[in-house]
Amino acid sequence: MHCVHTFELGKSAPRTEEAFRAFLRETSGGNNRLLALFAEEYSSGRFLLHAVAGGSVPGRFVHACVETSPRSFRTFTDVCPGAHLFEREIYDLFGLVPEGHPELNPLRFHEGWPKRSFPLRSVGAPAPDARRGYRFLQVRGEGIHEVAVGPVHAGVIEPGHFRFSCAGETIQNLEIRLGYQHKGIESLFPGSPGMGRILLSESISGDTAVGHSTACARLLEAITGNPADPSAERWRAVALEIERISNHCGDLGGLSTDIGYLFGAAHFGRLRGAALNLLLKITGNRFGRGLNRIGGIGPRVPGIAQEELIAALGSLRAEVESVGATMLDAPSVVARMEGTGRLLSRTAATLQFVGMAARASGRDVDARRDFPSPAYVEAPPAKVLLDAGDVMARAGVRVMEMRASFDWLPGVLTGAIPPGTIATEGNAPAAGRRLIVSVEEGWRGEIVHAAIVDDESRITRFKVVDPSFRNWPGLLFAVQKNVISDFPVCNKSFNLSYSGADL
Amino acid sequence: MLESIRKRARTGKVTLDLPAGDLPTPFRGMPVIADAFRSANVAEECSRVCATEAIDPEKKTIDLGRCVFCGLCEEACDGEGIRFSQDPRLPCGKREHLVLGGREFPTVKAAPDLRSLLGRSLHLREVSAGGCNGCDLEAQALGNPIFDLQRFGIDFVASPRHADGLLVTGPVSKNMREALVKTYEAIAEPRIVIAIGACAASGGIFRGSYAVENGVGAVLPVALFIPGCPPHPLTLLYGILGFLGRSPEKNPRR
Repeated sequence: MHCVHTFELGKSAPRTEEAFRAFLRETSGGNNRLLALFAEEYSSGRFLLHAVAGGSVPGRFVHACVETSPRSFRTFTDVCPGAHLFEREIYDLFGLVPEGHPELNPLRFHEGWPKRSFPLRSVGAPAPDARRGYRFLQVRGEGIHEVAVGPVHAGVIEPGHFRFSCAGETIQNLEIRLGYQHKGIESLFPGSPGMGRILLSESISGDTAVGHSTACARLLEAITGNPADPSAERWRAVALEIERISNHCGDLGGLSTDIGYLFGAAHFGRLRGAALNLLLKITGNRFGRGLNRIGGIGPRVPGIAQEELIAALGSLRAEVESVGATMLDAPSVVARMEGTGRLLSRTAATLQFVGMAARASGRDVDARRDFPSPAYVEAPPAKVLLDAGDVMARAGVRVMEMRASFDWLPGVLTGAIPPGTIATEGNAPAAGRRLIVSVEEGWRGEIVHAAIVDDESRITRFKVVDPSFRNWPGLLFAVQKNVISDFPVCNKSFNLSYSGADL
Repeated sequence: MLESIRKRARTGKVTLDLPAGDLPTPFRGMPVIADAFRSANVAEECSRVCATEAIDPEKKTIDLGRCVFCGLCEEACDGEGIRFSQDPRLPCGKREHLVLGGREFPTVKAAPDLRSLLGRSLHLREVSAGGCNGCDLEAQALGNPIFDLQRFGIDFVASPRHADGLLVTGPVSKNMREALVKTYEAIAEPRIVIAIGACAASGGIFRGSYAVENGVGAVLPVALFIPGCPPHPLTLLYGILGFLGRSPEKNPRR
């Protein structure tokens, strides 16, 4: 399968630090990208850093690991800028200090935590240095003032703290402090690879329940040697595309709200609900919870006939197209969104941003092509790529992606056979200590799940990478030199998950 | 401009009248306990597949404060013990009122003086405290033209100073505890706390993690729990209206 790969850890010896550095440097070029960088305490007080990368050759994953001292390692951010947040996370969870890191602020932990608490580090391991507190970047100069927002924001949304340094109305620098939603989700995955893990994955980010649970289900299927049949894979892809449509509608409604365009807010708010109700009819839940099982999909999925779903998608499409066209043609919308919140393609490439936001900045990355799951292998939805990188482009990409999904869905649904009619042969799971990686393109971008399992196929370390975790810094670059009153619309144009980033 | 006015006229009214009736299958709403659940070893079978320990095989109960409505118990017993109906109306109230199969509880209503104060105008400050954002999205959906919360005189406000109460989602992450308490303290008395979703009632799927408080009850006095994972917007509507002593059946439009 192109979207899941198993590495036998017994066969790949840890590299030297220099070789590992060279490996990370290579992932910074072209469409190659670092999918995950994470630590593992493989025996008491002994740590490995694992890096998984890929992207330039469809379906090809590469892996490297390096042994690190129980106190620290030299930072890799200088050769692979996309590693910077992963290294801060490793420091918070394991107490391994990335020496020379450009901005070593706590990512997961806040002042209320014990200074020597590193939750994924065993008690027996020698205590590392106490963590230091959070320090915001100080911008100095005549007339510079700070605006602090959050963690509790004005709307019905998740918490995070934004610190603006402004000269007049213009944002000179924005620093975002996250971690408020940290619930220790990775610590709940280890153990036997059962259904409870899929339920957990549905709650990594509430609006991406289908994306995360699909990535997780395939990973668990690889561990247990129990693959899903082609029809189940089709229904997973159908649910993924409807999840994409529902969220894109919701975001276009949110963008409308933030610029006072009430027509778009009301209609897209309603159309998002229509898409969610299709997910409800398929899975029994508005967010697609209950879709996935290990080895396929739930016994009551799909709760709707194919013809009925195709017809419903047709009428939803007509509405989305007409409201979308009216919105993107409205002079008041164009005036607020064009040229606002520009994310340069150079920045997107250097920091290895992913998904829809990267595609609005001309970066051609899409896991449906680069790591295609079975239903996408032959003919994925049409490619969508814009290069302006502004709020208008991120809105435009959403409208075009919905069109591509609407084009693609009837083909997958027509002639889709009822689930479970084709017998799939279980394959004997690999033996020995191994690392399994699973990737799927959620609506925001690529979702990466990785698990290390022991000889008895028990999960010993689980790593989740939500696309938000990789894209949050994009917002910081996009808002620089914009007026602070445009911040909400810039923020909404990325609509990143706090829960997915904080885990 | 003309096009948007035309579109508005064509769309017409989309707001849902209450009561809205059952939702389509396979929606997992109010679980129905059959007699078989109380006899035999069906409860045992159901509890074995329950990832959140919502089912007590000894007392033969299902705790909707822990249930994430995954439907695995229904699959395990073939619907013989527990069957999920398509009814979005769930029992809401104090924490113990969420346990099905044991003692029956009456619907919880706010005290009469509070009802006369808030019954026609309730303003809530929403705080997301460590959840997955699912409950927040459904709370947000209450504001769209379909559910149109404002027609009932209920709305979300930006400042706790303008609020009569808090709507809290999530298990309360340790990192949000302080902000949650401060937001609560900034609300003038009398103030109410409504906790929505399995996480807010018990920690839900995250219960027992090192980083959470296992529910809002551990931090603030909760007046109303609304179960679900996440609760359907209609569940939220019925829960809040019921608490205010307002019957959607008698007064469907307002």
